Amino acid sequence: MEGRVIVVTSGKGGVGKTTVVANIGCGLASRGKKVALVDADIGLRNLDVVLGLENRIVYDIVHVIEGKCRLRQALIRDKRVQTLFLMPAAQSRDKEAVQPDQMKQLTASLAREFDYVVIDCPAGIERGFKNAVAGADEAVIVTMPEVSAVRDADRIVGLLEAQGLGDPRLVINRLRPEMVKRGDMLDIDDVLDLLAIDLLGVVPDDESVITSTNRGEPVVLDGASRAGEAFRRIAARIDGEDVPFMSLEAQSMWSKFKRFIGVGR
Amino acid sequence: MFDFMSRILGGKSRLGEPRSKSLAKERLKLALACDRVELSPQVFEGLRLDLARAVSKYVEIDEAGMKVRFDSSDRRLSLVASVPVVGTRRTGQARRSKSRR
Ligand SMILES: Nc1ncnc2c1ncn2[C@@H]1O[C@H](COP(=O)(O)OP(=O)(O)OP(=O)(O)O)[C@@H](O)[C@H]1O
Ligand SMILES: [Mg+2]
Repeated sequence: MEGRVIVVTSGKGGVGKTTVVANIGCGLASRGKKVALVDADIGLRNLDVVLGLENRIVYDIVHVIEGKCRLRQALIRDKRVQTLFLMPAAQSRDKEAVQPDQMKQLTASLAREFDYVVIDCPAGIERGFKNAVAGADEAVIVTMPEVSAVRDADRIVGLLEAQGLGDPRLVINRLRPEMVKRGDMLDIDDVLDLLAIDLLGVVPDDESVITSTNRGEPVVLDGASRAGEAFRRIAARIDGEDVPFMSLEAQSMWSKFKRFIGVGR
Repeated sequence: MFDFMSRILGGKSRLGEPRSKSLAKERLKLALACDRVELSPQVFEGLRLDLARAVSKYVEIDEAGMKVRFDSSDRRLSLVASVPVVGTRRTGQARRSKSRR
């Protein structure tokens, strides 16, 4: 059976694409699926450090495309989850080193061997974007609840449609419940109302994302993290499971205290 | 109680200025609508003026109170104009007043 090729994109930079790719990849692999992550951010690779695999790179995506090595040789197996693999980007090349057609071929060959192929798209709407979406069957758009990220996400919806990727799903990242509560941050409904696409999940702004990234361990593996829980649910939804959305109420002092002493979440 | 406190500490009262997220949403609505039809703000202003001119050929309007916006619920775009009418004029009159100029 052919695997699903999913591109994760946003238009705006720094909203969390790489974090989302690492975590849904790791989440899907933890569910026993065979997953290949493709870093399409040529020249600015990061997926390797986020996954803690930066010391193992020998070959990269441009080597594969230029025929300097075989596909298998460039795939790095994850340290923790046996069914997770990374195809790293080239660091000393630029986006022009790859053509959309070549990307299509590469993702198609990966899809023959993996259940999921997840592509980390670079910021922007130029060549790097076109490469990243070329071989995708589905798209996930990452945004943050603020004006420029939402606006860029809307542009991306239009551009994806033009590429035949008509039903993208949305991840709202870095939501801050206490700001939403006091009316100083767009809430989930506002964003869905504006973008009019389906919601895949909401990830709270959470320090544990940064601390786990410091260690090179996707937060989805951290059973105590709220962001980790959000990513586990997103992975389950991609995998076809119908899981309820997490409640992201601003946490009261009481529930924070209860969590602190270890009773309740 | 908590709500009350946060309203005092958080700045604007309920009756005061809108919170920043409502502003964000309103501004985004228009920006997205314009992006989607690829209208620049200048072209949009032109559209507003033309509309005002067209409508005032038939009725007297309060141009300052006129509101034009794109509504983009469900990714379908429609142009919604609310034009306060301050007086009617007969079509004949409208034509006459024009020819007099
Ligand atoms: N939910 C979150 N809570 C806290 N920090 C986050 C969260 N998501 C992402 N971050 C942090 O935000 C920063 C940007 O994230 P990331 O690199 O994933 O974005 P990106 O969209 O891939 O950026 P680029 O466009 O440069 O590729 C990182 O430092 C990351 O750790
Ligand atoms: Mg990135």
